[in-house]
Amino acid sequence: MSVVQSDANKINANAMKFDWPVSRSTTISVLSVVIFFLAWQIAPELGLVNGRFTSQPSKVYLAAIEVFRTDNFLFHARISLTEFVLGFSLALAVSVPLGALLGTSRYARLLLDPPLMALYIAPTLILLPIMVIWLGIDLPSKIAVVFLGAIFPIIVNTMAGMREADAQLIRAARSFGANRFDVFTRILIPSSLPSILMGVRLAVGRGVLGVVVGELYVSQAGVGHQLMTYGSAMRIDRLLVYALIISIFGYTLTSLVRLLENRVRNWRPQ
Amino acid sequence: MMLDFYRRNEAIILGTLSLASIGVVWQFVVDAGIVNPFFISTPSEVFAEASIQLESGKLYKNIAASMYSFVLALGLATIVGIFLGVLAGWFRDVESILEPFIWFKYSAPTIAFYPLFVAWLGYGTPTIVAIAFLFALTPIYANTLSGIKNVDRDLVRAARSFGARPLDVFLQVALPGSVPIIVAGLRLGVGRALTGVVVAELFGASAGLGYSIAYHAQLLETSKMMVSIVVIVLLGVVLTQLLTWLEKKTDSWRVH
Amino acid sequence: MTQIEIRDLRVEYKTPKSDEAFVAIDNISLDIEQGEFITIVGASGCGKSTLLLTIAGLVNVTSGSVTINNNTVNGPGRDRAVVFQDASLLPWRSVLGNVKFGLEMQRWKDDDIGERAKRFIKMVGLEKFTDYHPHQLSGGMRQRVNIARALAVDPDVLLMDEPFGALDAQTREVMGDELMNIWERDRKTALFVTHDIDEAIFLADRVIVMGRDPGRIKEVMKIDMERPRNAAMFESDEFAKYRRRLRDHLEEDMASMHLVTEVA
Repeated sequence: MSVVQSDANKINANAMKFDWPVSRSTTISVLSVVIFFLAWQIAPELGLVNGRFTSQPSKVYLAAIEVFRTDNFLFHARISLTEFVLGFSLALAVSVPLGALLGTSRYARLLLDPPLMALYIAPTLILLPIMVIWLGIDLPSKIAVVFLGAIFPIIVNTMAGMREADAQLIRAARSFGANRFDVFTRILIPSSLPSILMGVRLAVGRGVLGVVVGELYVSQAGVGHQLMTYGSAMRIDRLLVYALIISIFGYTLTSLVRLLENRVRNWRPQ
Repeated sequence: MMLDFYRRNEAIILGTLSLASIGVVWQFVVDAGIVNPFFISTPSEVFAEASIQLESGKLYKNIAASMYSFVLALGLATIVGIFLGVLAGWFRDVESILEPFIWFKYSAPTIAFYPLFVAWLGYGTPTIVAIAFLFALTPIYANTLSGIKNVDRDLVRAARSFGARPLDVFLQVALPGSVPIIVAGLRLGVGRALTGVVVAELFGASAGLGYSIAYHAQLLETSKMMVSIVVIVLLGVVLTQLLTWLEKKTDSWRVH
Repeated sequence: MTQIEIRDLRVEYKTPKSDEAFVAIDNISLDIEQGEFITIVGASGCGKSTLLLTIAGLVNVTSGSVTINNNTVNGPGRDRAVVFQDASLLPWRSVLGNVKFGLEMQRWKDDDIGERAKRFIKMVGLEKFTDYHPHQLSGGMRQRVNIARALAVDPDVLLMDEPFGALDAQTREVMGDELMNIWERDRKTALFVTHDIDEAIFLADRVIVMGRDPGRIKEVMKIDMERPRNAAMFESDEFAKYRRRLRDHLEEDMASMHLVTEVA
């Protein structure tokens, strides 16, 4: 039986996470990143990989300084940011009311659900070439792609949030004489807020993707344009700097929405 | 009688009606001269164009090219995603090792690394597969991880009470219990792999649905683009529905 | 013959946040004879489940010892089987698959497993539901599967952790009755944790009353009523006497309970 016992302890350790102190996993994570960077730095120097294709952390660091100093970085960033902000704001303005309508009206839902679901599932990015034909190669086509990427996750999640609102709460409100408008503003909106924000969070990712894809496809300026330029010039270090900047932007924005989402979720007793 | 039939099939009837009226309005705005067909084509022209492409075998060739990359990418993502997810779900240290990279993957738009892959693998199928693979990997990994990690503790305890060894617990409790959530991850992966394939094809390929869109866009041939767009939307819906069906099937034992 | 010996048993849990250990049970000593039916009652947080799971080998002993047939317990073993609450059946396996599960884990010979499992499914009256899945069964039926799974591995000691806790009162009574019938056949040593006083008296040769802070034995009450037991006994004066005594014990604990936060 002693064999069984030692096995049992192992299961314990794996299945129940509180058996590890927090510091252990953090240490391992940090170590894992450090080793990755070291390997990346050393491998080209040992000739294990061709540094021309992989660059090195030290080179990327230096390239980052160059990019900020001399590459007109703010100009490109401003263009990409404008595309993102405009497309995303438009998407927000359209999707939340539309999602609310779909969440509260059965007929609207039955009518609009099939095309919406198809567009939610399908990669809206394939509409980019059409957008370029309609709107040209400058800002408007990118704004359209961001808009198309961001709108559907918000619609779908707003709709789901409204539909999942507690029927008992609504009944209780009605019993106190609340009318439809009261129910909507006092119950449906607050209780679906976490779900709406989840849609917004997903939409951020798709919006950033829209900007990058749009600019990679055809553009005269913007961070995606810079990516393409340095890609074809084999300046991997600068390419990585721009890719990292985009990642950091996406990560920061997603984290902010998640923070808001968690805060809103905590209002509600679970 | 009629009303009864309508009530039972209301969702399907209204849904079909809605899709049909989109087609009608689309045709109408062009026929009435409100919108220039150069911008949006018309359903009848798209249909005619689709028949031509079907007959010449061009449509088939493009679908086959895209599906080849898609299957390869999704297959790889499934194998790697489940393998890493299982390891990370079972061994906490493996999860710690992978976590920072997964974190990064979540926030980084994979497509930003497209030029890097072109530098490594050239334009064409390898780059397309690599991008689509990375697109599909995250949800498959994440779902497998959470399925294995959140194994039902009551079941583990029951298994242990009968002397189950760690491998027994893994094979008989953790793995079967995770199947539905892993399939849900696959469903998300399907949509993302498809996105990855067609987007990467937009930028550089010699065949495929995404390539066809980009190619005809340069010639400003809207009807021909629309054929590929419609096919991609249909593929997305059909593939996702397939996985939704599979998900329900594997989930049937769950107490709802 | 004494089958289970518990000596000065103490079990502590590490709490996830602080370094301080929480004492679940302390200073427990008890001898259990072969063939005895023991029930354990007490207010929630008295450590009655902990005691049972320690005997099962699923919870580690901090100090003291548990021995079964003179072997010290330090893990699960073939000599014991546990009947858990409702949720411990594998939802993706059929009734047959679930009863086979324990046998498979204990590495019984493949040819025996199927027949043996079917025999025990029949014993608990579920032969018509062999291929059903847990979500298709009622709570009472699921607990029959649980009991069949435990008995199929032929343990010396049957451990039951509030097996009827999730059932409604009526089903509960029926299940108690049936458990008695099944148990009467070979009278295996049994430990049964419950918070239902009537159930505890009806089933037991001895009732162990536990108190809390820390979890300890307050009284061991011998039930002198003849076997086989039947529902008429609930009305007897004797039963009423036992019931009153147990109730006094539990009410004492209830009175102090609102002062302490619940530790399940």
